[in-house]
Amino acid sequence: MTGFKLVASALLFACAIGSASAQTNKPTQIGWGVFTFTSGPAAAYGMPGRNAAELVISQINASGGIGGVPVKPIYVDEGQGTDGVIAEFRRLAADNTNQAMIAALSSANCLALAPVAEQLQMPTFMWNCDTHQLFLKDKYKYVYRTNSSTVPEFVADALYLLSVDANFKKVAIIDPDYAFGRDAGLIFKETLKALKPDVEVVAELYPKLGSPSYNTEISRLVSAQPDVIFSNFWGADLENFVRQAAPRELFTHSKVILALGESALQHVGTQLPDGVIVGVIGDGYWLAPDAQRKAQTKAFVESYRQRFNEYPVFPSFKMANTLYAVKAVYEKALATNKDRWPTRDDLIAAAKNLKVDTLTGTLALRADNDGLVDQIVGMTKKDPAYPFPVMGDMVRYPAGVVTPSVGTDPIEWIKGLKPSMLVTIPKPGSYK
Amino acid sequence: MFTTYAPLVVDGLADAALIFFVAVGLTLVFSVVRILNVAHGSFYALGAYLSVVIGAFLAGRGWPVLSLAALVISPLAIALSLGPLLERTMLRWTYGRPEALQILVTFGLFLILEDLQKLIFGVQPYSQNTPMQLLGTSRIGGIVYLNYQFLLIGLALVVGISLRLLLKRSRIGKLIVAVVADEELARTVGIDAPRVFVLAFSVGVFLAALGGALASPTIGVAPGLGAEIMVLAFAVAAIGGLGQIEGAAFAAILVGFARAGAIYFAPEFQPVVPYLVMVAVLIVRPYGLFGSVGLRRI
Repeated sequence: MTGFKLVASALLFACAIGSASAQTNKPTQIGWGVFTFTSGPAAAYGMPGRNAAELVISQINASGGIGGVPVKPIYVDEGQGTDGVIAEFRRLAADNTNQAMIAALSSANCLALAPVAEQLQMPTFMWNCDTHQLFLKDKYKYVYRTNSSTVPEFVADALYLLSVDANFKKVAIIDPDYAFGRDAGLIFKETLKALKPDVEVVAELYPKLGSPSYNTEISRLVSAQPDVIFSNFWGADLENFVRQAAPRELFTHSKVILALGESALQHVGTQLPDGVIVGVIGDGYWLAPDAQRKAQTKAFVESYRQRFNEYPVFPSFKMANTLYAVKAVYEKALATNKDRWPTRDDLIAAAKNLKVDTLTGTLALRADNDGLVDQIVGMTKKDPAYPFPVMGDMVRYPAGVVTPSVGTDPIEWIKGLKPSMLVTIPKPGSYK
Repeated sequence: MFTTYAPLVVDGLADAALIFFVAVGLTLVFSVVRILNVAHGSFYALGAYLSVVIGAFLAGRGWPVLSLAALVISPLAIALSLGPLLERTMLRWTYGRPEALQILVTFGLFLILEDLQKLIFGVQPYSQNTPMQLLGTSRIGGIVYLNYQFLLIGLALVVGISLRLLLKRSRIGKLIVAVVADEELARTVGIDAPRVFVLAFSVGVFLAALGGALASPTIGVAPGLGAEIMVLAFAVAAIGGLGQIEGAAFAAILVGFARAGAIYFAPEFQPVVPYLVMVAVLIVRPYGLFGSVGLRRI
């Protein structure tokens, strides 16, 4: 009997030790699922994100990893479709060595993954999820957006347009036909209606995402003769649109806003004339004054250029900033836990209200898990130093000015904007 | 009025021209070989990829004008290499077998060619618009048009008329028509029917690849291109009547205008409008606009 008690006690002790050991001991590596598009038309936008991930993770590992543990990225191609992305997410989450997900690029995938992340209690950092619908109705514990949302991003474009030249009447919109495009159209229109009520929308086109040709849409835009054309095309769609529209003088007949235009500047080169309003939906522009002043950012830009033979574009910075933010989450959790290796729940707790310096500014995670990031907008201009247009007349809108506060309905917030705000906001060219 | 509708006409015709190249190839193969080739769209995609790669190579070497030649050389190379090879190795043994088997074989071929594309060209998009830039633009009624669009319309006319003349007036055309009319009788009088099949299939491959090559300067070339055009080509062939060259031309114009018109007046219907037209036509004329029961094809 005594012998049995002894053996049972030893077994229980061993189990307890084993369990505690699994929680407190450092793992041999940290697995991060990194979701982006590496195939199809969206890869033109997704690959700069993946390139940045490779570079940043190799730099983190070269400097000793996180808490002495190297990071192992597992890349998932979002080009396989939402069903496949969800299946991959579930597969990775089932492996306890994978502690966080950096997902996703597509707004549609973000909306699909958020409830899955919640169900699986998997810390998920949405590196490029822009849709404001992410936190509109649902509250998530395990999902953070390390990025801004569609509301500040496209309100900023409208503010810039109104600051540059408010003497316009006819507006046309051409966006991709899914949540991100439709949201952008709505936000841009509502902002203009609030700040310049006499605006008339003369054409609103939503071609299929990944459409290879926009020739008829371009004809429709030309014949509608709008003063302003707004587009949030991205990836190969954006590059195709610019290549097809430029010869037909669309960019010289109307004031065009390409909300994600910076990501295509190096590829379309001189086809894009001066004076096109371009955005970076965030603050990730490699030639922005803040980026130029920071030694770490300049080193990142140079390493990126040497490795991938082009300069990083804003999706690269969205990814890099997210990875550095997740690293900061780990470091905060490790400091809080006094070196006990953080669990998934520890990471989520550490991310709450985190504020980190990024390569291009700051990222603040709010109480509702949404990210606060400044917005940079500018206009294309030639620069003899580069064989492609760069952004000039830049403005940096503070996140607080263009982002609705926690718990506010974003569209109602936009409707409440007053034209008087145009007097107080920073002016184009003020960001030097 | 002119500035509103003139671009619609040009866009509608240019779109119709590109659809026509693919649809007429599909209908020609169906007429002669009597196979509904599901892999037809893959030849369109291969034509686009190859002309972009060759065009970019030539433009990069300082010979941009030669990128125009790449638009014809690429489909020719694809037709001469893949046409006889696929017809002799994969299609020939399906002749006279159930249609379901033929469709499965060509669907298998489609999947193989799609993967082959990814293997050779990767999964990232390509673009090469040098031919479009070389031809410049024209300003008509204050609207800027791409001269390349006019070239497409002209080439479609040339191809349509040439195909008709080839079948009606040339010796080889008469041989094709004879095989289509009665293969057994044609063999009896000494016509080499298998050779006619190789030729017709290769011409079909050439037309699809030509469509892709000619489209490439105005589009982004990425995986999925073949499947998209294939569905559209099927719809056009069905509207015109399978096996009818004039039917394919008329249906391509109908679909081209319907797509352009939808973008102007009801953009949300643009993706479905070709299929709405197809359903409407097939309800009234189940054999298509130019087809009829028992009518000799071609």
